[in-house]
Amino acid sequence: MKKSFLTLALAAFLTVPAFASVDAEVEGMEYEVRGDGTFLIGGPTYAFDRILGAGGTFSESELWTPAKLRDRLLFNRMSGTPSWTPLAPSVWLKTGNELGDLIYQNLLPSDKAYPANRTPFLEIGVTTPSYKGFWVTARLFQDDHFSEKMYSYRVGMVDNSFAHFGENYPLFSTAYAGFGYTNSMVNASVIAGEEYLWTYTATARWIPTHFKPRIEARADVKNVSVTLAYEDAEYMNKSKKERGSRQEVNGSIYYQCDEACKQGKLQISAGLAFRGVSDSGTVYTELEEDRSFWPFVELRYQPLKRLTADVMFGINERDWLVQDSVQFDIPTPKTMGVTVGVKNISGTRLNPLADTKEFLGDRTIDLTADGQMTLVQGYAVFNDTVASLNYGGKGSFWAEYGAETFDVDGFVDENSYFFRYGNVDRIDSWIKGVTAEIWLNAWYQDMFKFNAMVGFERISGLAKKLEVTPAEYFVAFTGDWLINKTFRISHSVKYRSDARWNLRSIDPLVVKGDWYWDVTFEQNFPKYGITFAGTLLHVLANEVVEVPNGSHDRLRFVCTARKSF
Amino acid sequence: MNKLKVLLLALSVFAATLFAQNTAADSVTVKQSTEKNPADYAFSHFAVSIEGGEIYPFGDLIDAVENTLYGGAGIRYAYWENADGFMTFNYSYFKPVAKTKLNGVNQFSGKVGLDWKLKYISPLILGAGFTCNFTRAEIKEGEKLNFGSDLGGTLGDNETEFGWFVRLNMPIWNIDKYRVGLNAVWEELWTLPKRSDMLTVGLYIERRIW
Repeated sequence: MKKSFLTLALAAFLTVPAFASVDAEVEGMEYEVRGDGTFLIGGPTYAFDRILGAGGTFSESELWTPAKLRDRLLFNRMSGTPSWTPLAPSVWLKTGNELGDLIYQNLLPSDKAYPANRTPFLEIGVTTPSYKGFWVTARLFQDDHFSEKMYSYRVGMVDNSFAHFGENYPLFSTAYAGFGYTNSMVNASVIAGEEYLWTYTATARWIPTHFKPRIEARADVKNVSVTLAYEDAEYMNKSKKERGSRQEVNGSIYYQCDEACKQGKLQISAGLAFRGVSDSGTVYTELEEDRSFWPFVELRYQPLKRLTADVMFGINERDWLVQDSVQFDIPTPKTMGVTVGVKNISGTRLNPLADTKEFLGDRTIDLTADGQMTLVQGYAVFNDTVASLNYGGKGSFWAEYGAETFDVDGFVDENSYFFRYGNVDRIDSWIKGVTAEIWLNAWYQDMFKFNAMVGFERISGLAKKLEVTPAEYFVAFTGDWLINKTFRISHSVKYRSDARWNLRSIDPLVVKGDWYWDVTFEQNFPKYGITFAGTLLHVLANEVVEVPNGSHDRLRFVCTARKSF
Repeated sequence: MNKLKVLLLALSVFAATLFAQNTAADSVTVKQSTEKNPADYAFSHFAVSIEGGEIYPFGDLIDAVENTLYGGAGIRYAYWENADGFMTFNYSYFKPVAKTKLNGVNQFSGKVGLDWKLKYISPLILGAGFTCNFTRAEIKEGEKLNFGSDLGGTLGDNETEFGWFVRLNMPIWNIDKYRVGLNAVWEELWTLPKRSDMLTVGLYIERRIW
């Protein structure tokens, strides 16, 4: 396969022995350690994650792509959390806390109110080594972080503590077990479990869902991947005496271009994603006609070594979505590269598998908008490597017409929490943006790796109709040390300028710009496959609410002990 | 006064360590300079220990809980040529200073860290790491603890907090596979509204397994 310059540049940089950066608290929350955009966290099951330079007004997880086929569909987002992807053969224990519990400070009389309760993280799991290809896995994981703000409201909605343990009403609590079979041609698994989940929706409320059970089967045979999940979901709002259930089957079949195919000029992959639901009682969302079939095809055409065209196209009776790009690597000296390209995303919905309606009391919120959106982005990337230095930059211009927005008709007040109603709508004008990023990488053998990056974006158009006005600029530094080849210290220091939620609260919610420092310390025992890691997340930053009706983004510590087989 | 005692004890033990003999058991990381890859040192030696001593709250915490005894166990393993990894697990029972509905607070503390055998302070060994303290209060019989309004109310539930620590490991005697020494640990829990500082001083007996 002929690689694009970006791929080559990345590969060149990765020739520096790679060791991971700061660890996220759980898979799918990698956005919490990123600094190159606007990442506003409402909790482990919801975040607005927009990379500066990606173009468009939407966040990354709102856009459906084939790469996210095995992510979870949480309302209209493809989420990596909670992940049902079996982990590699190992046994692990992870625990953490939002720092700032009282402990013995609570034995000191105080005239002032004590700080709010802090909440933990706990995970334990095992995936056995394979025996004649067969293996077993089991995992219990629960993230209580971000669960404090609407605690009192959420307590009244559900029957019990809505978790496998504890009384913090965590935003997810998952337990599963299963088995699998792996050989050189096949990787297959079946996993079943019980899950408690709170999903953040268009109305800015958290909806509890109890999966009892959820079963997911996967099979990868050569270059064909099949996924099938069954979910028996229970919905409830005890305070309103509401109860409902949803039986759902969802999954996908995906054929990916294999190695032989990748040698050709034309590469074709294709698949089908689907879901079908059966609702009874009070369910707070609806999927039109109770089903969605989403056939899609991916094409890559490389008529010349330096010219690459990609397209992904999907269509069904209700929606269509196309994502395409063309890019050209300009001939340059060996250590240098310049790429120019243009990309386009057009479609009726960013996620054609998502539900089509939400209900707030007697009100119906239409989650689909007439017409279509179109995003066009042109970009140029420059990259050069000199000895142990790599530097580069990227500039882009983008314009989006028909961007999705929310036409707010009003808010309802429930126990001083405000939920909006209205309908998903479109901005029938062009929103335009210009972005610029520059970066510098430096490394020394396998011991040290440094990255500095700064980015800027200017958006013009009807900014107040955007769900989120993203940050205008960021500065990010990362430094990774690998001491004696066995002890890793990964740092990340970053600054993001102000971001603003425009439509999800009566008054816009401004998330002030701030500095963040994340760090991971990790003892490695390569010969034994053992690691002990401790990670501090979002040090330095003020603890603020980043998403309307979300909880404070607090300083967190997570430690992990893992033995790989 | 307590601090003075601790200081004197520490100084006397420091003096004692000056006479400590370095034997094969002095360090679980016996020098193997022929092995060049630092990863090869890991677990080349391994020791288990039991430990007991006293915990002294510092700063504002003096008005919260009384000094208390602790006991526990630990492991120490070779990590690099000049550093050992260790884990300790201790139990202690804190009694509140103020009059509360609590008899006391059970604390389980787990620590993970590295000991550096720095030449210029030898035979003292300097260590640092993270601590995780789990607490659960014992409520007086017949009392009902209110989470929000009672002094120590949050301790009626399971509470966990993390922190960091530095320690001085002072080997005193090394006899065959056994070592007796003293650990002095300064730890800070990341609590609010203020951080919680404590000094732990304890004797340990360690046996090298391999």
